[in-house]
Formats: sequence, C-alpha cells, structure tokens
Amino acid sequence: MEELMEILEDLRPDVDFEEEKALIDGGILDSFDIISLIAELNEAFDIEIKPSELVPKNFNSAEAIWALVDRLQNE
Amino acid sequence: MKDSVLTYLDSAVSKYADRIVYSDENSRMTFSELNHCTMKIGTWIARLLEPGRPVAVMTGRHVYTPACYLGVVRAGCFYAPMDASVPVQRLNQILGVIDAQLMLVDREHLEKARGLDFGGTICVMEDILESEAEMDDMLLEKAQEGLHELSPLYVIFTSGSTGVPKGVVTSHHSLMCYIEDVQEVLQLTEEDVLGSQSPLDYIAAIRDIYLPLRTGASTYIIPKNEFAMPTALFETLNRERVTTLCWSVAGIELPARLGAFDCMTPQYLKRVIFSGSVLRGKYLKVWQQHLPNVVFINQYGPTEATASCTYYIVQEKAEDDTVLPIGVPYGHYSILLLNEDGGRTVQGEVGEICVGGPCLALGYYGDSSRTEASFIQNPQNPHYRELIYRTGDLGRLRADGMLEFCGRKDRQIKHMGHRVELEELEAAAAGIEGVAEVTVLYDSEKELIWLFYTGTARPKDIVMYFRANLPAFMVPRKVLLLDEMPVLPNGKTDMQRLKQYFK
Repeated sequence: MEELMEILEDLRPDVDFEEEKALIDGGILDSFDIISLIAELNEAFDIEIKPSELVPKNFNSAEAIWALVDRLQNE
Repeated sequence: MKDSVLTYLDSAVSKYADRIVYSDENSRMTFSELNHCTMKIGTWIARLLEPGRPVAVMTGRHVYTPACYLGVVRAGCFYAPMDASVPVQRLNQILGVIDAQLMLVDREHLEKARGLDFGGTICVMEDILESEAEMDDMLLEKAQEGLHELSPLYVIFTSGSTGVPKGVVTSHHSLMCYIEDVQEVLQLTEEDVLGSQSPLDYIAAIRDIYLPLRTGASTYIIPKNEFAMPTALFETLNRERVTTLCWSVAGIELPARLGAFDCMTPQYLKRVIFSGSVLRGKYLKVWQQHLPNVVFINQYGPTEATASCTYYIVQEKAEDDTVLPIGVPYGHYSILLLNEDGGRTVQGEVGEICVGGPCLALGYYGDSSRTEASFIQNPQNPHYRELIYRTGDLGRLRADGMLEFCGRKDRQIKHMGHRVELEELEAAAAGIEGVAEVTVLYDSEKELIWLFYTGTARPKDIVMYFRANLPAFMVPRKVLLLDEMPVLPNGKTDMQRLKQYFK
C-alpha cells in the first residue's frame, strides 16, 4: 500500500489520495492519468491489469486500487 | 445573401422539429426545444446587451451548452466559451482578453463565476429558461440586423507563447464553409449519430455542434470520465447507436492503448474522422482490425483556419510504422508551401504550410500585432490583397499530390489533443519562487512533458503551481531538479543532453 501511495503521489501531487473516494466518478483522474497509472502499476507490482478491470469502482479510491492490485498479485 | 449559422438552425427546425439534436447522460433535446431555448436566451441577452458584443459562456458538458452558444448568436452577439474546469487564473486571463460585459453560466458554475475577475453582468441559464419572460421576435430581428457572413461567431482560446492565451475569432462564413466541406466528405443523414468527445469549449466541438444543424443528425455528448474507462465508453457508443466519431487523435488512441477492443467492439460505427496530431500506425491498426468496414479519415489544420483544412481518406491497411499523409485541401481551402524566402517549394521539398481561402479566422481578439504577424499578404501575389495564414507547421508534397506533415518550425507541441507552447510553460515556471533556470521539453514518444529546473523550489511546489494555474494538459508530468542547466559552447541550453533523461 505504501508503494502504491508513492506512485499516486508522484502521479498527482495535488490530490489527497487518503481522503478522495471518487477519483473517476468525480473526474479527478483523467484518461491520461489512467494510462500512466496502469503502466506504472503493471511494472511496479508485476501484474497485468486487463481492460475488463478498467471500471470506476476499481479506481475510485486508493483502497480500491490497492484491492485490485492485491487480487491480481495473488491470482 | 445574408447567411449565418441561424440559417442552418432555422432550416433544421422546420425540417426535423421533433427529432433529437443533442443528448447527454441526463437529457435529450429536440430541434424545436433547442430553437425555443435559443429564442429565450437570445431575447434575454438582447435586452441587456447591444448586438456585435462578446458574451463569455461558462457552462458544463450538457445539451444546454450549444443552446447557450446559439442563444448568444440570436442576440446578434458572439460567444467566447470557457471551460470551467481550468484554474481560476486561466479563466481570468481569458476574461482579461475578451473584456465581455456579460457572462452566461449554468447554476452549477455560478459560484465559480462569482469568484472571477469579472465586473459585468452574470446571467444564469436556468433562470432564463425557467422565467416567465416573453420571447420577443421583433427585438431579436432587430438585434440580428447587423449580422452578416463575416460577423464573428465565436472566439476560441488557445495556448500563446507569451503566457497569455490567444483568442481566435472566427466568422459565420468560415464556420459554414468548413461544415459544408466536411459534410461533403462525411455524407451524414438525419439517421446518423455523432458521439462527441471534445470539450465543448474547444475548436474540435464545432463538428458535433453544427453538423446536426446542417444535416439533421444528432449528437450524443459523452461524459468525460468515460474516456478514462474505455469499456464504459464502448458500451455508450453501442447503447446510443453512434455511427460517427469526430475525435482528437488522443481520443482515438485511448481505447486502443487500454485494450478496450478486447472486451467489446462498437457495432454501429460507419466513419471515424480524427485530427489534432499524428495518429500512430499501431493504434490505427487495432481500430482497422476490429472495424474493417469503417472509413477512417485523417484531418489536419489549425484553429486559425477553422478546425481542419486538409483531409485524407485512409486507403491502406495500417502497420506499426504507418504514417498517414494529411492529404488534400478541403474545397474552401488552398494550401501553399513556402520556403524561408517566401518562394514556393518544389515537389518533395519541405516548406511552411500556409493556408488561404474563406476559412481564415478574422484574427486574434484584441491583438493586432500578433494577427499581422501570422495572417500575411500572400508573398506570391503582388497584384491584390490576399491573406494567408502561416501555420508554423512544416509540410512536403508527395509525388502523388498528397501532403505530408513534417513537424513544427517552433517549439509548439500537440499534447492530449491540445496545442501547447513550451515557451508558455517556461514563462509560467520562471514566475515560481525558488525557480532559477528552467527548460521544458516534450518526449513525443511517451507523451510526457518534462520540466528541468535549477533553484530551491521542490518539484512538488512546481506541479502544484501548474495544477492551480493552467489546464491539466499543460501540467508537466516529469519535473526534475538539476544542480545546473547543461549549456552548449554558445551559451544556449543543451537540449540534447536534457533529452538523455527521457530514457
């Protein structure tokens, strides 16, 4: 989780990832953020995020993103 | 002849009254409802403002935004759209240039509008539409008396190298020439549905706004966040039976990059037209493989020549290294390739792309010196007045008559579908406390804006400053603090050394 928070902070230092719960639904992360984020997550955690997993509920908060990463790591 | 976009609107209303013109995730609007909204808004504005004046419009991503634009036109005025999601500082710069007496907003953005440096009247769209005030045909007719083909229709803002955005003023005639040209290529009918991707304040939205008025087609305004989640995007295209996409290259590349085709394929698409930057072969290939019957069309052109001035209907099967030509000029445009001395280049030689014809903008709002520098007398014509626009883009004519794009003369880039002047970013960064020297470069392969600087500021301070002052597409993605800026023997910054950091 710590590593994830670092990636998120680097990506968008202006966003409070501890508090924010509507990263996608609230339009906080844009499409370009998502492209960069997915590339970084795949590399940092050695996972492969599939297009079917690109739904708002997997990306709306740091916890949700972590849950996705955690699940893919254990698959 | 007295033509304006209202001619389109009036004729569409009589032919397609009860058909849908615009829709979004919450509402659907028919042609006659649109007409009613424009009359109400127009009457309201005409009571407050004399014709021929600019009106700033700051509304959200919904069907009422085009209605506001056209309402302004009904009042004999022209609109300057503003994207409420860009920082206050940027909006204030735009207001400073346009110097409008009236701003039209929706309720959602009223608070934001009140916080801006604006001394004029703020009108709320919902108040106007809900009011009992009668529409006044006589007043509108009078307001439109001075309206003619060369009256300004809108002022759209784009990045300026000095740090102040430039307002490109476009006439009714230019817009209509372009719409006629693009319709000749697209051949839309009232059965077609456009899926709108562009921000509504941006030049690329003119197709989605005006093609329905010309053809009876309808436009579905896609919610912005669906572009971050491409399977939702394709679901929407299928649910709304979208047949036509007029998107930026960035928008076209996204679903291909994120693998959206692995889950779903848009079923109703017939044609996809794109512009804004160079579409990479590897992404076009993905689209073509999944949609073999769709026609793909590449477009090229600057805001100053009303959206797009050349087009190319893709004939080839794209490979990873395919680079599409930008094609041939649309009917109302002429293209001239000029060398440094103002002479015509020979076939195969690279020259600056210059555009002529009735689609040239009227200039930059309130900036005659920059207008005169960019819109010049055709050096090939000593006989009478003929303006051309110098794009700053480089091009070359292939032996088969197709034009190729060969980059920029200056440091302007295309990023996420938007024009960005790297000098503007450097000027912004230089104003931050604790920044000594600064250089901004673009890694076009990875689509990353890099900012290199020396000084005492932290990288985070710099990103925060950009986020607070400039649109998201202008924020550097990589910010690097250096002990010193590398220089060449002549004292200039060594850009090549900085580019080593891209790897």
